[in-house]
Amino acid sequence: MPSRSSKLNKKDPSDFKMRFIVAGFIMFFAFTILGGRLWYLQVIKGDELRERSENNRIRSQEIRPLRGLIIDSRGMILVDNIASFDIAIIPSEAKDPAFVVSELKRLYEGRNLSYAGSPTLDLGRRRFLPLSLERDVAWEKLALVEASSAMLPGIVVDVVPVRNYTMGPVMAHVLGYVGEISPAELRHPQYRDHRPGAIIGKSGIERAVDHLLMGKSGGEQVEVNVAGQKLNVLAMVDAVPGSNVVTTLDGELQQVCWEAFDGDAGSIVVMNPRDGSILAMVSKPSFDPNLFNRGIKFRDWEAFSSDRMAPFKNRSVASLYPPASLFKLVVAAAALDQGLISAEDTIVCRGTFPFGDRTFRCWRREGHGALNLRQAIVQSCDVFFYTLGLQLGVDTIAEYARAFGLGSLTGIEIAGEKEGLVPTRGWKLQQLREPWQQGETVSVSIGQGFLGATPLQLVRVFASLSNGGMLYKPRILDRIESPQGDLIESFPAEPIGRLPLSAEHIKLLNSAMWGVVNEPRGTGRAAHRKERDVCGKTGTAQVVSMPDDDKSKESEIPYRFRDHALFACSVPCEDPRITVLVVVEHGGHGGSAAAPIAKKVVDWYMKNRPEDPAYAIFSDKGSMEKQP
Amino acid sequence: MKIDRRGLSNIDWVLPVLVLLICAIGITNLYSAGANLIGVGGGTAPWIKQVYWVGLGLVAMLACLAVDYRLIIRFGYILYGISVLLLLAVLIYGDMTHGSQRWLAVGGFSFQPSELVKLTLVIALIKYVDDRNVGTSFTIPALLIPFIILMIPAFMILKQPDLGTAFFLVLIFISIILFAGIERRSFIKLSIAGMSVLPGLWFIMKDYQKNRLVTFLNPERDPLGTGYHIIQSIIAVGSGGLLGKGYLKGTQSQLKFLPEQQTDFVFSVFAEEWGFLGVLILLILFFSLILWGFHVARRAREFSGVLLAYGMTMIIFWGVFINVGMVLGILPVVGIPLPFMSYGGSCMVVLMMAVGLIMNVSMRRFVLQS
Repeated sequence: MPSRSSKLNKKDPSDFKMRFIVAGFIMFFAFTILGGRLWYLQVIKGDELRERSENNRIRSQEIRPLRGLIIDSRGMILVDNIASFDIAIIPSEAKDPAFVVSELKRLYEGRNLSYAGSPTLDLGRRRFLPLSLERDVAWEKLALVEASSAMLPGIVVDVVPVRNYTMGPVMAHVLGYVGEISPAELRHPQYRDHRPGAIIGKSGIERAVDHLLMGKSGGEQVEVNVAGQKLNVLAMVDAVPGSNVVTTLDGELQQVCWEAFDGDAGSIVVMNPRDGSILAMVSKPSFDPNLFNRGIKFRDWEAFSSDRMAPFKNRSVASLYPPASLFKLVVAAAALDQGLISAEDTIVCRGTFPFGDRTFRCWRREGHGALNLRQAIVQSCDVFFYTLGLQLGVDTIAEYARAFGLGSLTGIEIAGEKEGLVPTRGWKLQQLREPWQQGETVSVSIGQGFLGATPLQLVRVFASLSNGGMLYKPRILDRIESPQGDLIESFPAEPIGRLPLSAEHIKLLNSAMWGVVNEPRGTGRAAHRKERDVCGKTGTAQVVSMPDDDKSKESEIPYRFRDHALFACSVPCEDPRITVLVVVEHGGHGGSAAAPIAKKVVDWYMKNRPEDPAYAIFSDKGSMEKQP
Repeated sequence: MKIDRRGLSNIDWVLPVLVLLICAIGITNLYSAGANLIGVGGGTAPWIKQVYWVGLGLVAMLACLAVDYRLIIRFGYILYGISVLLLLAVLIYGDMTHGSQRWLAVGGFSFQPSELVKLTLVIALIKYVDDRNVGTSFTIPALLIPFIILMIPAFMILKQPDLGTAFFLVLIFISIILFAGIERRSFIKLSIAGMSVLPGLWFIMKDYQKNRLVTFLNPERDPLGTGYHIIQSIIAVGSGGLLGKGYLKGTQSQLKFLPEQQTDFVFSVFAEEWGFLGVLILLILFFSLILWGFHVARRAREFSGVLLAYGMTMIIFWGVFINVGMVLGILPVVGIPLPFMSYGGSCMVVLMMAVGLIMNVSMRRFVLQS
């Protein structure tokens, strides 16, 4: 030990003297800072701060931002905000919150009112913030609570903005609704900035662009006197209102579609084929989103969610239907592009199509006789397309179906979209662990079998055929504006691909669709207008295969086994301005159930929405047609 | 290890007396801070538990006194290694509270290894300085190993995440290195480098940490969150005035406006009830404690003793300065407890050990003369 210590003692500790003087000085300086600050707070500002702590209480409250408006393309407000009143409790001000709440209930009982809040009281961690007890309360209760405030320490009336959906059920699915954030959503990284009790978009556009609509909460710290009156604002951060979302929708057209649709369930989607904008999107049955403003009552929710008709489902993007005869255009496109058939080649239809040990039938039992491709589309001959489909093979059909945008998400800004299904050999082997059967190709070639598509996907197929072959991402958001109306972001049309078809083939298909509506043998004559400017295609989707004999008596078939009626059309034929798709679930034949609905929509649109004169001047197509 | 009788007779009584005085004030204050808490019911009151912690701390203090501090320094790396392993255990098995993982539960007790590391880091650094040739100033290459010694626990504490304590370790490190001596040119280079690295810290901080920092710079930015606490703390302190509102009469604490009033914000309860004069006395006690620590360090007969007493004193100093600064709104809210006053066992025991080590140096200064 001694040797070690002598080694360590080589340096004279007196050398440290200077360091200790410096260190001591730093300590003195540090304590002087603390002392000085204390002098400032306690002696100089002491009286002021004491006054503040003794006479007044300080109350913190969140300032909720106004959620952005949703507006249609013509400036009509689809969603805005209105005021609603909550009865809330500030736990830190109520000495005994449970007691205060029981006092409140007792007060209600005296007036034969019932307490609508949750029976359990979860005060949470931030006890200095108001916690809602009852939402959206009536004047009767508000008056009672205000008058008895002395008996109810910590109980306050909170004014909160709630959503007002001006079109109610008519636009419920597209716009969606808002509600209180759920515990599961709170854990989701997307919502990490939210607090429990926050109101968020739960479906539709409200959910898809929640981050744009929601704005940012502010807060204020105010001094209140014993009576709860605001004396002084100590600190305040204004709420930042959410941005306004301008959609491509046309509210009036939506209303027209809603009224035109006379079935029980189904969908109408109207698209502008020139840029993929969605003009209207109806799904029936529907619900009133205003019910969700402040948390739906349990009984209402039960009634809705147990409804077999699924009123919450946005059928336009989340229901899959067999495209049925609408799909014949895809098969025709594939056959033309593959060089399998020319415009002149004919196939004979005798009404039946024997295949293996089965016999497939044409919808017209007596057969169509010899038909070329155009006639086959006009009369929607099944046998013709059985023949083409088998020659193409399911994988080639699938390739073209995908090029038309089927089987994948369109990417529209509406929550809950389904991607649909385009079957292939590989898919079946992988998913069902069974090899593909040739007979299944026969079903697929008339749009049945495993095929499933959303109305939105289907409307886009026809929009792209009618605009000359451009496939657009469906556009529902036009632009985002600040609350003052300044442009924040705009969303131009997004072309995502071209159909793999020559201009000549597209022309042939459009001509055939014109025939569907305007020629004597066409299946879509119900959509015929005297202007002869509609081109379209009917579809009748089998839900279950029925014995042939029963087919004729539609009304005797139980509702859930009836066929779905489909119709797609574009107007005016030479340079369409709108493409309409109608699906009537269990409506029967496309030509008789769906086409008349589409016609009503088209008639209204062509009458009330004249062509933008600028279009004819600036568009190539418009000016070309002006030439003699 | 036998205790030299000369050592025993030279026990430094000033330190324990000062510390126990502060502890007594702390317990009295905790009684007031806890008096109004409704709903905590059941279990032992915090102020009574704190009495136990002081008792346990005294035992730990004696234990640190019994062993020759040179022996403790000789095992410095091993002690350091053990505490780093404990930190690792926290990251793996630790309990989560308020979004961070700081506690290790051992048979009904739980403690914070990050408190212990404050001591063992100092001891390990002294061990390193001691093994080197004494007296030569640090150059940048020579700082590499001490830097690694610092970064291992600092990084692990950052992972918990506990930015405040990690930063605390850095402050202790800088205090020791500067005192041990650093070559002037290296010092300038490192200062410049440090200044430029600082902004990078922003990117490794968690959101709530950034929030606290931004809120500190502008408390009115977040009147509902951290800013609320700062504003309330300042009102509590200021409303104490010159003479205070009187014991058990602090209205800010009565109304429970104060956050964490038994741990990080005990000082504002004290300041509200005892006023500027009371606080002045408390700060003088702390200041005396620190100066006495320096006094002991200056009289030590060898370099390692000087550094040990100095290092332990600095642990106390930084605790006081950061905590009080935070409560008074001149430093960000980082969750550093006030030494001997805040409720909590780990902190109390570890600080008592630090005092024990200073006393250890003090009583062995004569023994070494032989």
